[in-house]
Amino acid sequence: MMLRIRSYRPKISARSTVAVLGLFCLGGCASQVEVDAEFPRPLIEQLPLTVGIVLDETLTEYEHHEDIPEQITWTIRLGAANRVMLEQLLGTLFMTVPVDAIPTADSQSEHDGVIKPELERFEFEVPVRGRDNFAEVWMQYRLKLYEPDGDLIVDWPVSGYGKSEIMRDREGSLNEAAVVALREVGAAIATQFPSQPEVEYWLRERQNQVQVADSSFLIPTEDTGLVNEDSTTGTNDD
Amino acid sequence: MTNTRTLQRVSFSLICIACLSACGVTARMEPYKQTNVVINEGDQVVVLARKHHATHEAEEGFVECISESLGRGRDAIEVHPTQAFEDTLYPWFEPSMAPLSTEELSELLEKPGVMDRVRDTGVRFLVWLDGSTERTSSGGGISCAAGVGGAGCMGLAWWEDDARYDATVWDIEQLESAGTIYADFRGRSVMPAIIIPIPLIARPQAQACRGLTDQLREFLTSPYGYGAGPELG
Repeated sequence: MMLRIRSYRPKISARSTVAVLGLFCLGGCASQVEVDAEFPRPLIEQLPLTVGIVLDETLTEYEHHEDIPEQITWTIRLGAANRVMLEQLLGTLFMTVPVDAIPTADSQSEHDGVIKPELERFEFEVPVRGRDNFAEVWMQYRLKLYEPDGDLIVDWPVSGYGKSEIMRDREGSLNEAAVVALREVGAAIATQFPSQPEVEYWLRERQNQVQVADSSFLIPTEDTGLVNEDSTTGTNDD
Repeated sequence: MTNTRTLQRVSFSLICIACLSACGVTARMEPYKQTNVVINEGDQVVVLARKHHATHEAEEGFVECISESLGRGRDAIEVHPTQAFEDTLYPWFEPSMAPLSTEELSELLEKPGVMDRVRDTGVRFLVWLDGSTERTSSGGGISCAAGVGGAGCMGLAWWEDDARYDATVWDIEQLESAGTIYADFRGRSVMPAIIIPIPLIARPQAQACRGLTDQLREFLTSPYGYGAGPELG
């Protein structure tokens, strides 16, 4: 029996070689991270105020590009995570209504205030060499609170830091570090924003207005406290 | 000829014995329990990492190892998942918010809804893990060469890792610290290379996990007197 051996020579054109090498280089030289996480509902008391929330495209479609010399180009998409975190958080802290724009003197808001969060700075580090084996993320937001007529009450900077041990892939660790940083930002907003002096003053003012509005419909009686004004018509004419 | 071969064998055996004896882990554990509380049926434990340090923190894998090991075996303890606990009590156990003392814990539990949420989890004991595993020293070297006739390596490399952790146990019901277990496991790994490198790796972190788990189990199930510190006065 004769065994025929056929020599096989793959037909590879120069153009396809260049294309494959180019794709390989691009794949190897660029990293993309879509920060993806679910955020728990914070265990805080809701403030009895209705606030409009402006989440514009700069925040909900936020992308960070960074070309690190002699390394790779990173693209980090944070928009979806921003939206999930802030909607969940502010929706627990206040009664919220999504609005399109900041109010002005001409187009006043019907709510107690309007909040516009902005992501001001985003920094990260993913070590390639050395003993430090942690991906780190630092981000700073600004939380702007406006009066219904558009006056700025407070422009509060809030930052968060997160790190994650690099176990398998750098992208996954960077994602985890970003989630830790976002949770830190959320924790700071949930616990510290209501106690900012300007916010405290605004809260007191709005609650006083609500109380005054309520008490105008209520007058005290001798024995049992408060009675609705409608049921005592004619007794308080003086 | 025979003498030379015997001498070679003896030398090789001596090198192997030296390498094996150089590779190993030394352990030191100091448990200190200051109350007589023990875990009851239905009580759960949660293992949390201290994360407020900028430079080091207990590794996620180490926390998982302790959690899983405590919940396994004949004397298994009910362990609440770490992430689930942090999510349930968000934002109060985030790195920057977590209580650093039992006084801060009692302040936290006074906040509206927090104590109820903790009760819902069934957690009675918080185990705070602090520390990390670090490479303390390394040395030696291996050189490899390849030629037409073959390839091979020659040399000796070694390194030393130090797994140093402490586990502090807080009792949520009594609002006090039940005690601390300190663990220090040092491991020296060697890699002799005679033609091929032979790694003899010590795993101090894995041993620290095993040691700390055994001590924690005993700590939570044994009453007062277990690993008590020196009596004063």
